[in-house]
Amino acid sequence: MILNPKYSFLITGVTIILFGAPNIQSQINEKELINYAYESTYEPETSSKTIITNANILTGRGDSILDASILMDKNKIIAVGKDLDSSDATVVDAEGKWVTPGIIDIHSHMGVYPAPSLRSNSDGNEATSPTTPHVWAEHSVWTQDPQYTLALKGGITSFHVLVGSANLIGGRGVTLKNVRSRTVQGMKFPNAPYTLKMACGENPKRVYGGRNSEPSTRMGNVAGYRNAWIEAQAYQRRLTEYAEKSDEAKEMSYSPSRDLGLETLVGVLEGDILVQMHCYRGEEMAVMLDVAKEFEYKITTFHHAIEAYKVADILAQNSVCAAMWADWWGFKHEAFDMVWENTAIVDQAENKTGCAIVHSDSAVGIQRLNQEAAKALAAGQKIGLDLNKERAIQWITLNPAKALGIDDHVGSIEPGKMADIVVWSHDPFSVYSRAEKVFIDGHLKFDINDPGSFQRTDFDIGIIDPEGDRL
Amino acid sequence: MKLFRSIFLGVIGLLSFSVFAKTQDILIKNATVITSSEQGTLDETDVLIQGGIISLIGKDINSGGALIIEANGRILSAGILAPVTNLGLIEIELEAQTRDDRTDHYSAGFSISSAFNASSTLIPYNRTAGITSAIVFPSSGRGDVFSGLGSAFKTHGKIDTQPIATDIAMVMQMGGNRDSRASLFLELEDAFMKAKQFKKSRNIIQRGGFFDAGEYSERDLEALLNLIEKRKPLIAKTNRASDMLRMIEFSKKHEINIIFHGAKEAWRITDQLAEGNIPVIIDPMDNIPSSFDSIGARIDAASLLTKSGVTVLIGIADAHNSFLSRQGAGNAVANGMDQNEAMKALTINIAEAFGLDDSVGSIEVGKDADLVLWDGDPLEVTTFSDAVIINGKLMSDMTRSKRLRDRYLEVIGLK
Repeated sequence: MILNPKYSFLITGVTIILFGAPNIQSQINEKELINYAYESTYEPETSSKTIITNANILTGRGDSILDASILMDKNKIIAVGKDLDSSDATVVDAEGKWVTPGIIDIHSHMGVYPAPSLRSNSDGNEATSPTTPHVWAEHSVWTQDPQYTLALKGGITSFHVLVGSANLIGGRGVTLKNVRSRTVQGMKFPNAPYTLKMACGENPKRVYGGRNSEPSTRMGNVAGYRNAWIEAQAYQRRLTEYAEKSDEAKEMSYSPSRDLGLETLVGVLEGDILVQMHCYRGEEMAVMLDVAKEFEYKITTFHHAIEAYKVADILAQNSVCAAMWADWWGFKHEAFDMVWENTAIVDQAENKTGCAIVHSDSAVGIQRLNQEAAKALAAGQKIGLDLNKERAIQWITLNPAKALGIDDHVGSIEPGKMADIVVWSHDPFSVYSRAEKVFIDGHLKFDINDPGSFQRTDFDIGIIDPEGDRL
Repeated sequence: MKLFRSIFLGVIGLLSFSVFAKTQDILIKNATVITSSEQGTLDETDVLIQGGIISLIGKDINSGGALIIEANGRILSAGILAPVTNLGLIEIELEAQTRDDRTDHYSAGFSISSAFNASSTLIPYNRTAGITSAIVFPSSGRGDVFSGLGSAFKTHGKIDTQPIATDIAMVMQMGGNRDSRASLFLELEDAFMKAKQFKKSRNIIQRGGFFDAGEYSERDLEALLNLIEKRKPLIAKTNRASDMLRMIEFSKKHEINIIFHGAKEAWRITDQLAEGNIPVIIDPMDNIPSSFDSIGARIDAASLLTKSGVTVLIGIADAHNSFLSRQGAGNAVANGMDQNEAMKALTINIAEAFGLDDSVGSIEVGKDADLVLWDGDPLEVTTFSDAVIINGKLMSDMTRSKRLRDRYLEVIGLK
């Protein structure tokens, strides 16, 4: 076994002996082993030099560049601007159309709740215990979910797959690139941090209260999180104490046993794993910030966040993002106080330091996240908030990238980033706009003018008609 | 244009009490009128409303003392109808006490009309987004097949709202379930046979004779008979093309009118639908093959259907956001549907399919003045209503959601 040198920088914590490789018997960090064992195998084929010309670019950085070009090579964006050297590049004429970064959905259950929805492939909620940090969404993902290609046609180039919200602590999420692969590792966004799904409010207390077990109340929920973090802190101490022992002392004692769930929670406490928390009500978000303060961890994003507008200043002060719908509401009481201006208010809070994200949580919505952002933008502009398309495109590009810890690689059109780019038929903030061309890592993965070209999932093949494909 | 709008809004502000309180004649001037009738779209046109009814459509109409709304070229459309909705029946889906859309007691004859709550928060919310009539149906009844009878309501929200038409159609469920779908068709056959026997036995029953209604009540059997005798439509919720073909055969045999709802695979049987003059109610955005019954779901279904001569009605399942049928229509247009057809699919096609077209669904003289003035293209997601008129009355545009927004804009310091 050869250790991947890219993990050598990691600080050694607990050591374990790798058996079966006596010649290079090495001591490696547990985290390194986990990352190594489950790491992404996605490697885009080298793409040839391509230039998108005559583009009106919403960069994702908050500005736009009109009538400009984007040069891509070797899967990356090389240059953005006017008068670029395009020699030996394939030219894609955008004909004055709008071009945006690839769209990122921070809240998806594609793959874990695939279509068709069947008892046998409903793999998103390990609803057998309220605290299941040991499960990983990626181990449920079905790589042949036909919803991926529908999302691709809507410009989705990366998406974050979460476990469901039945549990207080549901398990690890995974960020995927919207590429077809036989394996989930082949879809994993390279080096994206792991995430942890947690859930506030009605869902956990309904699921477990309905079985007459804890939690059945919101206070039961909070006690559940705190108990889990107390255990995690104790485990973290045991790991640290062992790591700090001298080599001789280590030989005289056992290393702490591995605990899958606590490893994930310790990952959060150490800042390696990002908390993505399903939470609707304003006061519950504030309570969760207290819990995070007590145990010194960070909540990256509140998801759904129907009442984020009620605590938008508090969220901005704590640098917590809110991922929201444009207008879903009313399916449960904690979703009753929806306002169309939610996203805009979160964005504008505390002198425009808020972090607003528009998410889908839906295989229908993920196909038109641009329209959902358009609704949220229009609602904000209607009440006079200082918003524009340049800023609003960030709600579905750079902001979700930041909240997923992948903004060094995607989320904006800048040299050095992955060449994930969408050319739109019309203004992307219009219902009539469709993604015409979708590039992932510089490869044209969908071209509306060549509908036969995109790669179908296995499910789509021969399912209606043995001779043809589903769509 | 901005100036005009502020004057217009100012007028509403000043007159708000009197305007909202009583019927006043209204003249809408210089609108781009999407009539949803054979007249198509009329530019720079005035619409006069008298006594709650559209009385005149034309150029340079004399106001004669009517309140003038200067449209200044903005689009005026007929109010949008929600074709199969739980609007007024559900406040919060997961709270059983706020739901009146289901019954364990009645079946085909379950009339939903007395459950309609005109004070639901969903009503002003959807009205401000353009919904002026809701055709309200139960979601499920006793047993697996029939859900019951729907009625149509205006969305003005008055506490004493009466249906504009009662028990106008029946809704039933089809598709894959635990039991074979063949059993469902036998059950349908049995129900209609029982209804016909019931008809023959009416005289006996009136004389005090015994009739065994089986698992149905007499109310259920009367409702089924109405499908045959009064040609009230039966709405079959199903997605699979083969189910729809079997249902078409059934409807011919029993001489009933049917409408398909869901109908994700309807595009595969356009000839049969067009030939049978069978409308379909679809959500153009729902292209998910969510079950093995709907594997053929596709985003351009509305376009394929209308181009083959099938009448399309657009409605979405979510009562809370019934108005998103507009976004559905916009997406249908983006995927090939004709823009005028899409507007009709939100208005007159729905009115016609449910026999409400004498009073609603288009801008024509003599019809109820249910109108929406838009600040842009009504199918665009960034468009809002500037004015909603029902029965000739200008409606308030306030919603609970806006009240919450305004309260927290101050709390957050953005106002």
